[in-house]
Amino acid sequence: MLSSWSFYISTLVVYFGVDALSGISLNLQYGYAGVVNFGFIVFQAVGAYVAAAVTLGPSGGVSAFQHYVFGASLPFPLPLVLATAAGAVLAAFVGLFSLRRIRRDYQAAVLLVVSLIAFQVVEADVPLFNGSNGLVGVPRPLQSVLGLSLQGYQWVYAGWVMVLCAVVYVLVRWLSRSTWGRALRAMRDQEDAAAGIGLNITALRMQVFILGGAIAGLSGGLLVEFIGAWSPDAWTYAETFVIFTAIFVGGVSNYRGVLLGVLLVPIVFLQVPQFLPQIGYPGLTDSLQWMIIGLVWMLCLLWRPQGILPERRNLAPAYLTAESA
Amino acid sequence: MTAREPLLSARADEGNAGRQPAMAARDVVVRYGGVIAVNCMSLDVYGGEAIGLIGPNGAGKSSFLAALGGQVRIRQGSIQLSGEDVTRLPSYARARRGIVRTFQMTSEFSGMTTLENLVTAGHGAAGASLGSVLMHPRRASDSDRAMNQQAWDMLERFELTPIANALGRELSGGQRRLVEIMRCLMRAPRVMLLDEPLVGVAPHLVDKLISDLKSIRDEGIALIVVEHALDVVRELCDRVVVMAMGAEIASGSYEHVVTDREVQAAYLG
Amino acid sequence: MGTLLSAIAFGLILASVIAIAGMGFTLQFGLTNVLNLSFGAVMTVGGFAAYLARDHGVSAWYGLAIGGAVGAVVTLAIGRGLFRLYARRGAQLLEMIMVTLGLGLVINYAIQAISRNNIYQFNVLQSAPLHLGAVTITPTQAILIGIAVVVFVGLEAVLRLTKIGTALRAMAAEPSLARSCGIRTGRVVIITWLLSGFLCGMAGVVYIINSQSVGYATGELFLPLVIAAALLGGAGSPAGAVAAAIVMGVVTEVVSAYGGPQFSTAAGFGILVLVLICRPRAVLGDRGRETRLTL
Repeated sequence: MLSSWSFYISTLVVYFGVDALSGISLNLQYGYAGVVNFGFIVFQAVGAYVAAAVTLGPSGGVSAFQHYVFGASLPFPLPLVLATAAGAVLAAFVGLFSLRRIRRDYQAAVLLVVSLIAFQVVEADVPLFNGSNGLVGVPRPLQSVLGLSLQGYQWVYAGWVMVLCAVVYVLVRWLSRSTWGRALRAMRDQEDAAAGIGLNITALRMQVFILGGAIAGLSGGLLVEFIGAWSPDAWTYAETFVIFTAIFVGGVSNYRGVLLGVLLVPIVFLQVPQFLPQIGYPGLTDSLQWMIIGLVWMLCLLWRPQGILPERRNLAPAYLTAESA
Repeated sequence: MTAREPLLSARADEGNAGRQPAMAARDVVVRYGGVIAVNCMSLDVYGGEAIGLIGPNGAGKSSFLAALGGQVRIRQGSIQLSGEDVTRLPSYARARRGIVRTFQMTSEFSGMTTLENLVTAGHGAAGASLGSVLMHPRRASDSDRAMNQQAWDMLERFELTPIANALGRELSGGQRRLVEIMRCLMRAPRVMLLDEPLVGVAPHLVDKLISDLKSIRDEGIALIVVEHALDVVRELCDRVVVMAMGAEIASGSYEHVVTDREVQAAYLG
Repeated sequence: MGTLLSAIAFGLILASVIAIAGMGFTLQFGLTNVLNLSFGAVMTVGGFAAYLARDHGVSAWYGLAIGGAVGAVVTLAIGRGLFRLYARRGAQLLEMIMVTLGLGLVINYAIQAISRNNIYQFNVLQSAPLHLGAVTITPTQAILIGIAVVVFVGLEAVLRLTKIGTALRAMAAEPSLARSCGIRTGRVVIITWLLSGFLCGMAGVVYIINSQSVGYATGELFLPLVIAAALLGGAGSPAGAVAAAIVMGVVTEVVSAYGGPQFSTAAGFGILVLVLICRPRAVLGDRGRETRLTL
């Protein structure tokens, strides 16, 4: 009894860490820089695919039943590094044509279309990442080396994910409070005026998009190494909305709010129904969950678009106010 | 060159002889699709002078300002800043070289405090990039300190330290306008373009704002002010240029321009 | 040569489907400035309405009108009711697109719940295929092309020849001026929602007639093509949407025939991407003007 709870909780911790990384990335892009990345999930997906492909060994070898590009058998932690890089590279490529200085709603639509195209291309093109079946059998890193029980390994992995999550959290929070972070917020609030005081808007947007893409790629790598499989079902366009809803509920432009939102939405909301008795036919709960996510999203937009925890007000540093006191 | 030579006021005459204009625009044309908003406008402005740009609605004043500031690309004409050609430069590059502007609707950064609004425009901020912050964190935080001090000094100069921690969206109309202007000044500009700076400013603050603008002008900065309120123009500006239908129809001192028949016809007819 | 002609013919068929939806979308978007991402979901609603009608014995072709009518009513309710609610609370263009996305999710998954996540057959009785030289298409497909042409001609006629059409074009171009010219803006907006909603629902039915099946994801798969066609063709321009649809449809089918179906989707969008890279202003519009919601 205890061990199955232990298994379940450690899994939730991993999901929390991965979703927190996603939330941090999306919050950086949307809450701080005003980039509406409706195609977010694609960057997580590329990280997951690349991490899987470089761990499964050469295509056609042991895994002859599935086809993919970039086959290799790289040791830990290289797949994660490559996953992060893949997210960054894809972001650079997508950013080149979709981050012009354009109306925000157009930008959102274009990024959504990008994720929809990517979805259809990957599903249809089997040699790329095995089409709609996706990749399976991704080994967990260091499992044989560590020689732990299944439970022990789960907790070690959960710990590892949380460590990475904490590192990224601290790093991104520091960056957001730096000169660069201020420039991003200026760009978000009044793009033309920000350009008018000397900020290079295009460069700033690309930088935040690439950094966000890298973090998303990392989250994908961590996820696939835990679950062991990855297919298009895992990254439909609607998945981006779970994270968006999480940051809208928890607090936009507030990293603690992101953690709160990620706890409330993907973890609590999407996990709790697992314990409720099944209603209607199998699969009905899934549909209802999505409907409720959509409704929560719409209600947030109507009543409290800034979320539970509002954006921090950065007060003047003490050494300035002390002078005139 | 336009057919009329600008008639310089006496004050400008003495100061400008032999000087290079802070900004010189020649034959600027601005088109939006098929519509010509600005038709071969030329203008010279010198440091330490304030030019008023007036004219009826739709004359192209804001479009001309946008062309000077770089918010709008021009296909024809040239713009020089102290002799350097900036025509092809985007607005952020012009800002780094010393051309700043305010907008018709105040453009304060609504989610940031007043102090942050100013610090964002500080000298070290323009080059802010992810790379520079990651590679040189110590240098970034040092320059942050310096910019915070510069911003605080600016607030003290305008006696606005009490609103240092107020968010942009919490400020009154007049305060927003002042924040916008102070933010421009943080860049130590050579030319300031002001698009209807008195919109949204409460009447009792107008005099103070005008005297603030005069002191900015007296520091040697060149001002171009688009304004509808003619008494403000008379009070603040050394020279007035009148635009109608995208082109200049008169220029000179306020008195000269106001009595010009063509100008009267443009406003009334 | 035969392959090419065949591909072009299939491209035109695909283009017809995209075009009807694209015309509806661009009509809505051109006037109201709302990038309505729930458009695909409403297409699915129209498709299911026709399916249910067919279940009750109504011919599939009448289903076009029924799907259209349902689409019109739903769109009006959404546009005049829901969107206005948000606009009154101060929503701008960006918030609106987010609202439409959430709405799309709700509708889509409601349909999934109701339809038990099944895909239903929607067969239209086929007569013998037509042979036009090297090309073989079914009569149904030929009729679909005909429908698209009729819709296009009809829409252009309404826009250019009727008073309401002229009012619509005026409002799309200069909303603030239109009001002071005495145009009854409220009425024009309502008519736009109804008309574009009708096209939306009808497009859903056209799609399922062509694909012979209907499921909850019908509209979603199609939505990106519709948005791309509308953006490429220029907001508010049915002719532009049709031209863009033809280009996208033909390129998709030609690439599919010569390169393989896995590249066809990417190719269709590749056009949008190319245009965004080379001539962004053509798609993204002039930033000089402030754009407002007209609801």
